[in-house]
Amino acid sequence: MKSLFRIGQVAVAECAGAVRSRRVLVILALYLLMAVFCMMWTITILGKMEAELSKVLQLPETEETGIVSATLWKSAPFQSMVKSGLKNDLVYNDIEGRHPVELIYAWFAFMCAPLLAMLVAGNRVADDLKSGAVRYALVRVTRLEWTLGKYCGQVMLVAFALAVSALGAWVVAVFRLSGIGMFELLPTMFDWGFRAGMYALAWLGLALGVSHVTRSGSRASALCLLAIALCAGWPGILKLLSRWLDCQWLDHFDAIVPSSAALSLWRRSFAPLFTGGAHLLTLGLTYLMLGHLVFSRRDA
Amino acid sequence: MIGVAIVTRDLVKRYGRRRALDGCSLVVPRGTMMGLVGANGAGKTTWMMAVAGFLRLSSGSIDLLGRGPFRAEVHSGRFAILPQDSALPLEARPGDILYRYARMQGLSPEAARRTANEMLAAVNLADRANNSIRSLSHGMRMRVRFAQCFIGSPEVVLLDEPLNGLDPIEADRIRRFLRARRGRQTIVISSHNLHDIETLCTHVAFVEKGRVTRTSTLEAITRASSRVTYTLAAEPSDMAALSAAVPGATFAWTAETHDLVCTFEAADGDVAAINRKLLPALLAQTDVLAVSSGLSLEQAYLGS
Repeated sequence: MKSLFRIGQVAVAECAGAVRSRRVLVILALYLLMAVFCMMWTITILGKMEAELSKVLQLPETEETGIVSATLWKSAPFQSMVKSGLKNDLVYNDIEGRHPVELIYAWFAFMCAPLLAMLVAGNRVADDLKSGAVRYALVRVTRLEWTLGKYCGQVMLVAFALAVSALGAWVVAVFRLSGIGMFELLPTMFDWGFRAGMYALAWLGLALGVSHVTRSGSRASALCLLAIALCAGWPGILKLLSRWLDCQWLDHFDAIVPSSAALSLWRRSFAPLFTGGAHLLTLGLTYLMLGHLVFSRRDA
Repeated sequence: MIGVAIVTRDLVKRYGRRRALDGCSLVVPRGTMMGLVGANGAGKTTWMMAVAGFLRLSSGSIDLLGRGPFRAEVHSGRFAILPQDSALPLEARPGDILYRYARMQGLSPEAARRTANEMLAAVNLADRANNSIRSLSHGMRMRVRFAQCFIGSPEVVLLDEPLNGLDPIEADRIRRFLRARRGRQTIVISSHNLHDIETLCTHVAFVEKGRVTRTSTLEAITRASSRVTYTLAAEPSDMAALSAAVPGATFAWTAETHDLVCTFEAADGDVAAINRKLLPALLAQTDVLAVSSGLSLEQAYLGS
C-alpha cells in the first residue's frame, strides 16, 4: 500500500510538472489544434465528396454531411473496399454503419497516439537524469516506484489530452454538421478517445523505457521517433525475414509491437477490447521495465 | 551499531581506470556534525552519492542507521541529501515541490504543508513559494534544495557544498540553522570553505585520493586543547620567565607573524589555565594583540 501511495505521489508530481512545462503544454495545445483541424478538414472534404456523389448519382442534394456516407455503407462494393482495406471482417462488422465523423476522430486519435506519447513522454525521464532532479526523488521512493509513478503520470496526462481532443473534435462536428445527433455522438467520441488511450499505454511505455537509457532529452526524443519508425516497419521486416529464412513462426513476433493489438480496440464487444487492452498494457509495461532494468543498474 | 549513523568500509568506485573511491572507510557517529575536507576530486561527493545509493559501487559496504545500505523503502524520511549540481525540476514551485517530497516521505497532507511552509520560512523564501524554480536566482534555488533536506527532520543529512552561491546574509542564516541542529541530527558537510567547517562541525575527516586519511574531532585535529597562539607586539625578551610560568610547555616564536605558539600537555591544564599562568608573564614583557587556541583547520589540513 505504501508503495502504491508513493507511486501515486510521483505520478501527481509528474503530471503537475509536465503540465507546467512549456514544451508539454505546447504539444498538448498542438494536438488539440490538430484534432480540431483534422475534423474540420475531413468534414469539408467529406461534404464536397458527398455533393459530387449526389450530383453523379443524381440524388437529391442534402446539406447534412454523412447522409450519403450512411447510404454508402449499404453498398456492396463500398463494403468490400473497406473490408479489403481493413483486412479484418470482425472489425468491419463492428464499425459498419458508424457515423463517419466518429470514425474520422477514431482514425486521428489512433494515428496520432504514438506521436503524442513519444513527444510528451520521450524526454521526461532523460531530462530528470541529466539535471539530477531524479536524486531528490530517489531518497524518498525506490527506483521502481519512481519509474511506475512517471508512467502513471504520463498516462494521466495523455488521457487528459485525448479527452480534450475528443471534446474539441465533437465541438467542431456540432458546429459543422447540423444534422447529427450531437449528444449521442459525444459519448462515442469519448469512447474512441478512451480506446486510443489504451493504445497509447504501450507507446507511453516505449517512450519512457527509451527515455531511461539515455541522459539526453533530445537524444531520447530522437530514439523515440526511431522506435515509432521501427514499430511501423516491423511487420514488413518480419515478413521479409520469414520469407528469407523460411521461418513462418517469425510472424508471431508481430505481437511485440503495439500496432498488432490496435484493431482489437476497434471492436465493439468487451472481450477483444479487454484482451487488446491487456496486450497493450503488457507491452507498455514490458518496454518500461526493460528501460528500468538499464536504469536500475546504473548510477543515478 | 548503537551510536553510529553511517559506517562505510573499503568503498571502491571505479570510472574506467580511475578510482574515485579507493578503499574509503569512514564512521560517522550519531548526532555529530562531520565536515569532509579534501582537494577537488578527492572523493567527497562520490562518497556522499554512494551513501545515498545513487552509485553502483565496485566494492565495499555501507551501513546507514544500522539498516544496511540505503534503500528508499527503509530509509525514506530518515535520510536526506543535498547533492551537488543537481537541479530541482525547473517548472516546479518551491511550495509544491517541498510538499510533494514530504508526501513521498509519507507525511500527511497537513504535516506536509506545514513542514514545507516551515522550511521555506527557514530559508527565507516564504514569499517565493508560488514562483517557479526557473524564476529564482541561483542562490534561491540553492536554498530550496537545502530546504528539501530537512523536511520531516531526517536523522541523517548529507550536504554537499551547502553554502555555495549564497550571499553573506543567507549563508549566515543557513549556518545558524545548522548550528541549531547540532546534536539532534547527524549532518555531514562537504565544503571547500574550511572556515565554514570549522565553525559548524564537531568532527572532521580528511579525504584524499578516494580515501579517508584522517578522522577525528575538530578539537583533536586543530589541537585546540593543547596549543595556544599569542600574537604579540614584539618578541618576548625573557623566554625563561615564560617557561617558568608553565614548566611543561614548549614555546616557538615566528618573527614574520609575531606569533608565539605555546604547546602544552593536558596535565598542564586547559587553555584558560594556561592563559592565567602565561599572560601575566607575557604582559610584563610586551603587549598581547590576540590570543587563539589551537590551529586553524586550514593550518591543520595543510600541515597534515
